[in-house]
Amino acid sequence: MSMTTTAELGRQARFKTIRREAGRAISAALIALGIAFVIVLFTSEAPLEAFNVLLTAPMSRPRTIGLWIDDVAKLTVTGLAFSLVFQARQFSMGVQGQVYVGALAASYVALSPLGATWAGIPLGLAAAMLAGALWGFIPGIAKVKFGANEIVSSLMLNYIAIELCNFLVRTNLPKPQAGVLTSNNFPETAVFPALVPGTRIDIGLLFAIVAVLAVWFALYRTSWGLKLRLVGHNASFAEYSGIRSTAIMVSAMTAAGALGGLLGSMFVQGQTYGYLTVLFEGNLAFEGILVAIVARSRPLAVPVVALFYGYLRQGAQLMNLRTDVPSEVIGVVTAIIILLVASSFSLPGRKLWAKVTGRSAIPAGAMETHK
Amino acid sequence: MIELLVTVFSTTFFVTVIRTSTPLLLATLGGLIADLSGALNVALEGMMLVGCLTAVIVSVFAPWYVAVLAAILAGALLGAIMAFFHLRLKADIILVGFAINILAAGGTVFALTMATGGDKGTSINLTSKAVPAVDLSFLGLIPGIGNFLVRMLSGHSLLSWLAALLVFAIWYFLYRTPWGLWLRGVGEYPAAPEAAGIPVNAIRTWSLLVSGGLAALGGAQLAMFNYIGFTRDMTAGRGFIALGAVLLGARHPVGALMAALLFGVFEALAVVMPGLFNWIPAELIRMIPFVVTILALFLFSYRAMQAQRLRSAGH
Repeated sequence: MSMTTTAELGRQARFKTIRREAGRAISAALIALGIAFVIVLFTSEAPLEAFNVLLTAPMSRPRTIGLWIDDVAKLTVTGLAFSLVFQARQFSMGVQGQVYVGALAASYVALSPLGATWAGIPLGLAAAMLAGALWGFIPGIAKVKFGANEIVSSLMLNYIAIELCNFLVRTNLPKPQAGVLTSNNFPETAVFPALVPGTRIDIGLLFAIVAVLAVWFALYRTSWGLKLRLVGHNASFAEYSGIRSTAIMVSAMTAAGALGGLLGSMFVQGQTYGYLTVLFEGNLAFEGILVAIVARSRPLAVPVVALFYGYLRQGAQLMNLRTDVPSEVIGVVTAIIILLVASSFSLPGRKLWAKVTGRSAIPAGAMETHK
Repeated sequence: MIELLVTVFSTTFFVTVIRTSTPLLLATLGGLIADLSGALNVALEGMMLVGCLTAVIVSVFAPWYVAVLAAILAGALLGAIMAFFHLRLKADIILVGFAINILAAGGTVFALTMATGGDKGTSINLTSKAVPAVDLSFLGLIPGIGNFLVRMLSGHSLLSWLAALLVFAIWYFLYRTPWGLWLRGVGEYPAAPEAAGIPVNAIRTWSLLVSGGLAALGGAQLAMFNYIGFTRDMTAGRGFIALGAVLLGARHPVGALMAALLFGVFEALAVVMPGLFNWIPAELIRMIPFVVTILALFLFSYRAMQAQRLRSAGH
């Protein structure tokens, strides 16, 4: 068999996988939205209007498009962070904490004398990524050295980081006036310039794109990435073939932590804020779980999923503002999508459809084992 | 410092510890059952939260015990959803657990908004009921220590006594009944019970149901005794601390009791410290339970790892 045919077959198989995964994701989203619609139908006075806002409002004005794209950039980065740890089959849930420590580090740089120079943005970014990496490293090293469950330790670190941020904002960082829970505005040199003037789209979007490419390259074009995926696939097999799986796990969690820190910097140094405030993150970090799961932890699929999910998130916010349906209904949609995509559900009508059209949905051999 | 010692060794502090430990203990026992059956239940937090809200809303219309039962049922329902997606549809149990947490965080606020007519924060305009406290003031008739006994033992929530009873009941179930043996076997090495004709999936399903029910019962204690009413995210990480307590308690009911009491002590400290030391920032005091949990987890895991090494070196 010639090389070109093999490559051709590989490409065909890949397209088939992409089509199948996209089909599953879209049907899961439709089912979830359907269930949400039923809930809204029973609880809202104007359900059709609410759903109309949810599905059309983000596109309606340049300002809302800006909000949407800004969300997409942030969802992409948290989705990448979760994808990295999921690919190594770790369940570190620490992105939220990394966002807070990253934002703190970026704020200290931005409000220092250095922040008022050209170094404000690069140093702020670097400090945030370092702080996030440290926050990601702790659960990793504790798992490897002590056998401490990384889910519990990373969740505890989230709460600790949030309280740390509350504490430092209230007591330590310079403030415009006593009593407010926000820091001073950062100097202009430390705030990401806007890409599209008048919107919240800033160079954070470029950082997100770079992060996508970097994670893709690291996972699929370096030996570290190969080892990481092997460890995630089967840790003991990887160990037998001479890979130090513990080092790979720790490095994956640390790299994911750096991404979490980057997200922290994108929050506070971005056009949205330009200062540090308490609880700025608005529960966005955990949405990375959904993005990573639907993207099957593939870095190149992450921004695509973020684009769709960010739209839904913005729609929910606007629905919350303009109608009587609270934005939290989107939590139901998120949960159902995760449940359906993470499981091996298949559409109930599929077999029937196959019978009607006379094509077999399941290969004949698989039929017997299926029953 | 003296004030702190006086406070810590007072009977009121003991009563506070029992109060703060009870929701943790119930959730920890729930986590323990699921963990022993081989399913790490990361949804304890969400199940507790749903338990809180269900208890509060039902208690507006019905007696307190109906509200508690409704909370248990709601938790068990979430356990059933987990079992369905994990066992029937083969989804990863941790992802399913987090989906439940997301569902609970959003769903409770949504339901609260609907129930209160627009308030997204608290159930303050709903008149919800409380779990009754058990009055043991007759112990005061005992000469000498009677007074002390009353102060220590009287006035605890009925659910605190139930939780203590459950520690024993679950221990008995796990180590003295065939079903307990099956459950532990299913968690330890599912292939063997499967071959012996034990219904592995049914046992795991029941474990998740019970796990959800217990966590939600902890939620009911939180929203109907520790606090009266619901506020958004009121569990504030207690479900995750309970998950740590399962591991810290060496996956044993008595260990779970010890771990829950330990974390209860630090939560109680966080309750009394602001009154004693107003110079310690509130944020740092609120951090205490989480710092203690993570340190205890590291220390305990390290010791367990050492013990494991010694054992395997001995062979």
